[in-house]
Amino acid sequence: MSNQKKRNFQIEAFKHRVVVDPKYADKTWQILDRAIHQIYNQDASGLSFEELYRNAYNMVLHKFGDKLYTGFIATMTAHLKDKSKLIEAAQGGSFLEELNKKWNEHNKALEMIRDILMYMDRTYIESTKKPHVHPMGLSLWRDNVVHSPKIHARLLNTLLDLVHKERTGEVIDRGLVRNVTKMFMDLGESVYRDDFEKPFLDASSEFYKVESMEFIEACDCGDYLKKAEKRLTEEIDRVGHYLDGKSEDKITSVVEKEMIANHMQRLVHMENSGLVTMLLNDKYEDLGRMYNLFRRVTSGLATVRDVMTSHLREMGKQLVTDPEKSKDPVEFVQRLLDERDKYDKIISTAFGNDKTFQNASNSSFEYFINLNARSPEFISLFVDDKLRKGLKGIADADVEVVLDKVMMLFRYLQEKDVFEKYYKQHLAKRLLSGKTVSDDAEKSLIVKLKTECGYQFTSKLEGMFTDMKTSEDTMRGFYGSHPELSEGPTLIVQVLTTGSWPTQPAVPCNLPAEVSVLCEKFRSYYLGTHTGRRLSWQTNMGTADIKAIFGKGQKHELNVSTFQMCVLMLFNNSDRLSYKEIEQATEIPAPDLKRCLQSLACVKGKNVIKKEPMSKDIGEEDLFSVNDKFTSKFYKVKIGTVVAQKETEPEKQETRQRVEEDRKPQIEAAIVRIMKSRKILDHNNIIAEVTKQLQPRFLANPTEIKKRIESLIERDFLERDNTDRKLYRYLA
Amino acid sequence: MRRSGAAASKKKSDSITSSATDLFRSASSKATTKEMDRIDHLFNQYANSSSNLIDPEGIEELCSNLDVPHTDIRILMLAWKMKSEKQGYFTQEEWRRGLKALRADTLSKLKKSLPELEKEVRRQLNFADFYAYAFRYCLTEEKQKSIDIETICQLLEIVMGSTFRPQVDYFVDYLKIQNDYKVINMDQWMGFYRFCNEISFPEMTEYNPELAWPLVLDNFVEWIREKQA
Repeated sequence: MSNQKKRNFQIEAFKHRVVVDPKYADKTWQILDRAIHQIYNQDASGLSFEELYRNAYNMVLHKFGDKLYTGFIATMTAHLKDKSKLIEAAQGGSFLEELNKKWNEHNKALEMIRDILMYMDRTYIESTKKPHVHPMGLSLWRDNVVHSPKIHARLLNTLLDLVHKERTGEVIDRGLVRNVTKMFMDLGESVYRDDFEKPFLDASSEFYKVESMEFIEACDCGDYLKKAEKRLTEEIDRVGHYLDGKSEDKITSVVEKEMIANHMQRLVHMENSGLVTMLLNDKYEDLGRMYNLFRRVTSGLATVRDVMTSHLREMGKQLVTDPEKSKDPVEFVQRLLDERDKYDKIISTAFGNDKTFQNASNSSFEYFINLNARSPEFISLFVDDKLRKGLKGIADADVEVVLDKVMMLFRYLQEKDVFEKYYKQHLAKRLLSGKTVSDDAEKSLIVKLKTECGYQFTSKLEGMFTDMKTSEDTMRGFYGSHPELSEGPTLIVQVLTTGSWPTQPAVPCNLPAEVSVLCEKFRSYYLGTHTGRRLSWQTNMGTADIKAIFGKGQKHELNVSTFQMCVLMLFNNSDRLSYKEIEQATEIPAPDLKRCLQSLACVKGKNVIKKEPMSKDIGEEDLFSVNDKFTSKFYKVKIGTVVAQKETEPEKQETRQRVEEDRKPQIEAAIVRIMKSRKILDHNNIIAEVTKQLQPRFLANPTEIKKRIESLIERDFLERDNTDRKLYRYLA
Repeated sequence: MRRSGAAASKKKSDSITSSATDLFRSASSKATTKEMDRIDHLFNQYANSSSNLIDPEGIEELCSNLDVPHTDIRILMLAWKMKSEKQGYFTQEEWRRGLKALRADTLSKLKKSLPELEKEVRRQLNFADFYAYAFRYCLTEEKQKSIDIETICQLLEIVMGSTFRPQVDYFVDYLKIQNDYKVINMDQWMGFYRFCNEISFPEMTEYNPELAWPLVLDNFVEWIREKQA
């Protein structure tokens, strides 16, 4: 029957018979209270841990956890108040020591107390969510000692005072301060921060503000930076020794701000010691220090970079626009290379190869090199000089270094096509006069140009080399098939493919009979093997070696130009000739003839011809005869070589004009290429695209581009859109 | 007369067999034919009998009869209306086209139609077309694409002189003293028209040489600015 009724089965907890005796609680507490006193009085040796623990345990068990907790707090508070008074009473230096001592004691005591009250910690406090014993103990220390009105300010000031002392050179007890700051940290990060760190930073800020003002009035830039660096190192050191690690960034920010950021402009621009002076005098150490310090502050490096850039641009501008400096092209370029090396070294040694500085330097060089319109010509002349004589006897590796440096300058040029034109002219002269120091060096440079600018840039130049080689073979073939000619004058012909070589108009000139016979023989030989070609003699580009015997029997071998040879050979048949007679006989055009006669008659040491009257200029009435009194130390006398020189004004104009003319079809080709693929494009975009396409060769002028567009419209390659006049359309 | 009479009677006989609409058509076509006759008659008065074209001499006579100077823009407008191709000559077809459009079959009607014609041409949409036409009209040789400066100056005077006086004066002055261009092409010609219509003068604040304006105008504007400075 009982089974049918459903009953809830309950298992009842086994209960102690609890003795709820209020007196019991009081008695137990008394024991514990006394124990705490003893612990604090360093008199704990006689205590039994087990007993105390049990007592605390029982209190909690019998529901007196509350009493235990509040009692603990009250007792500890009272003790701490006492301790506080003792600390306050300490004089001078012993203040900190006393504090430290008491803190250590408190920690030890707290530990023991916590162990005793462990059960309460784990049960009562857990369930009531009150602060645990240990943290409570720390809070009580904080509230009753650290924040006690008589201690709080004094503690802080003592610490700050010590820091200040150390900063001014005194030695302090670092260990002691370490303990105190550690105490702050143990009390909580916010305590460290608010009660120590923030005031510390403020005081530091004040200190460095004052110090930086003093320094900057008294020191030059380099010294100031040394001092700043020293202070920075010190502070980092300080943190390591007695501050919390997290303070490092904060204190360094303070130093950076007060010592560097606030005085950036003044330092950089300091007269006779600032950045510009350092750059001019290659002060690598100072520059390096400035770099390292300034990079710590916002826009520090930007400031340095900007000042460097504007200085470089200004200096570069003066360098290239100074007429004195542009007198000698080789000097001019050498100066540029020297500056480039200098800044390279500065950036790699002092600025850690910082890319932004490299870029700033490059853009500055690009800016001022292009300010002088003759830069392309001068760089080519520099190369010419090196390839003629400058690289003589220099090892291959060093040659490469020089050429690479030249390429660096080349890259800065905006008008690369102008360089090409001059380079071609100068190369032609070098090749034809046989005056190049090293074929390998020439070829190496061509390869570098090809890598930089593409095949089209160098194909003609390579053609020139090929022609020279082919001509050698042709000459061998010629003399091979005409053995009878080995007796007479030796002819050396270079056959130049028009189009590869710089265009020169063929100048008329009557060659002496012996020579013209040879030339004709060569012509028929050549055309025999190359039908369909046309040869025209470039008499203004040739040279001749002639043996001469003068009046007193002096024998000399004269190295002259073709024109000069024609003139000199005339004197084999006449003793005296007038200008007009010479002109008629040679058919050389007047300006060339005048120049030629001047070089033969008016140059000291080379005057193989006498002129009447003895004036400097060639007049149409002048009379010429052989200078029988001619002497020279050397057997071989060189009169008139075709050396590359800086162009005269009219020549410069002509070259510039030819360059402009050459650009027109290039611009048009670019326009057509772009329009062919885009079909329709608006004006501004065409200009931008064309400029971009042509940039490796030259900087295209928007007005010139516009002119070309109009020309293309006229020739029905393009048309304007009917509705939108900004658009152009490609006409297939 | 005879010719046309035969034509008329022919037409008449054709229309006998048609319906009412045809009657109407025949009536209007009769009128049209009569009109065409008069137009042709007028043509013959000025045409050169051997070439069957009105030549420059004929045009001069026409002008004096219309009481219009023969460099007047209205003759050019008349040519435009006729879609005349060759400067100085009107073909019969062109004559017919023009006068029919103007509904003028007598000299006096033609004279009266001129003001109306002028109004029509000056309408914005037509004027651009007329302006371009004026240029093409001056191209006398077959492959010619440009007109010499002197003719351009005269043409500008005629075509734009009354509406854009200051621009024309300045531009003509400029063209005469500059050396960059000896002729003007259609693109540049049209550019000037846009210039007059879009750019305030003489302030020219809206003008931007970086846009697609023809270079000759860029130079022109720069020249004026230099003078103003």
